[in-house]
Amino acid sequence: MNLKQIVETLDASELYAPDGWEALELEDVFASDLISDILVSEGEDQLLLTSLTSPQVVRTAALVGAIAIILVHRRQTPEALAAAARQQNLPMFRSAITKFDACIRLGKLMEQK
Amino acid sequence: MSDIPLPLDQSALRIQELAYGLKVRDVMTRKIFAVTRTCTMSDVQTIMKNNGISGVPVVDEAHVVGIISMNDIMNAFVDGHMDDPVGRHMVPDVQTLSDEVPLTFAMSAFSKYSFRRFPVVNQKNELVGIITPRNINLALIRELSRQLDELEDNSGQADRSGEQPVFHRIYRLTRYDFEHAGKASAELKKELKARGIPPKVVRRAAIASYELEINIVAHSHGGTFAVLIDDKRVRITANDFGPGIPDVDAAMTEGFSTANDWIRSQGFGAGMGLPNAKRVSDEFEIQSGVEMGTMVKAIVYLEQERVNEDQ
Repeated sequence: MNLKQIVETLDASELYAPDGWEALELEDVFASDLISDILVSEGEDQLLLTSLTSPQVVRTAALVGAIAIILVHRRQTPEALAAAARQQNLPMFRSAITKFDACIRLGKLMEQK
Repeated sequence: MSDIPLPLDQSALRIQELAYGLKVRDVMTRKIFAVTRTCTMSDVQTIMKNNGISGVPVVDEAHVVGIISMNDIMNAFVDGHMDDPVGRHMVPDVQTLSDEVPLTFAMSAFSKYSFRRFPVVNQKNELVGIITPRNINLALIRELSRQLDELEDNSGQADRSGEQPVFHRIYRLTRYDFEHAGKASAELKKELKARGIPPKVVRRAAIASYELEINIVAHSHGGTFAVLIDDKRVRITANDFGPGIPDVDAAMTEGFSTANDWIRSQGFGAGMGLPNAKRVSDEFEIQSGVEMGTMVKAIVYLEQERVNEDQ
């Protein structure tokens, strides 16, 4: 699945979207609100789904080589977050739906594939 | 001749690093004058005078049971107690230092207590030395000049073929500064990638580094964080100025956490930091002294495949 499909599935809006983001391919999803768990997640080319909104999320995602971040269950997010994403050149979106719902929708999307 | 490759702010941090690299046993005075409880105050005064010292530990079969300072001698003199046994006038419950702790723990102890010397004990709690601020100053000067010599020796041969230059960087970390925490780890990752290190190894080094970096920011009063990469390994040393970990075994247990609600709200404090860092490291060492500080050293080998590939 590519990032565009994911963003549409989750009704997510853009916080930082560099050129060519639509075509980015993602193999896996990791959903967590604990930095330590994100750090030791083992997937490659994965999407990070989290409701954490500290800039550390971006740094952690970059450290483990995540392809993109989607903040779930959030209507508002600190501006510093988008700036951090831009700095790391890491696509970031925001969705108001809950993490549970987001996981279900993505699961269905992955099944269709 | 190339310039000494240190930016100015790095050189101050390096002196601090020197103190972490040295242990109390490397700098203490080993020639000790100690007395037993039955010696008289007058005996102690003679020892002090003949040897130019101002404090004498009192021992019972090599275990420190008290200390007599110049002040105690003066009080005994004024009160006419110079023929009393020292057991009656010594200060009991002496704060000692372990010979194995980093020199910085001793520096913290001197700034926390008003004492001018600490008896040093070994693992069996036996008196093996004594440490004063003078020992520390001399040791730092000696170590600094040794390192300068080393730098001069190496400056002519920077281009040894096939070997990458050593990457050594030291960062100062501030308590609760989550804005900057993680930058050292990001730089480490970038450097390792540029050196063509396998992604799995890069990831393990980055995890260890990041967890330790966050620990200093979340749990300590602040400290220094050093990264060294040579041909064979990454060495990460995280040193802080306290408060120290009362129970290191508990801190190494998965799920054990002392984090407050705010730290947890940042996504930290799951009690996985130290266990994670240890799990991804090939070598891991932690030392902590309450009110003195904590020193963690993690090493990740660059080439060798891990025997226990569980990460």
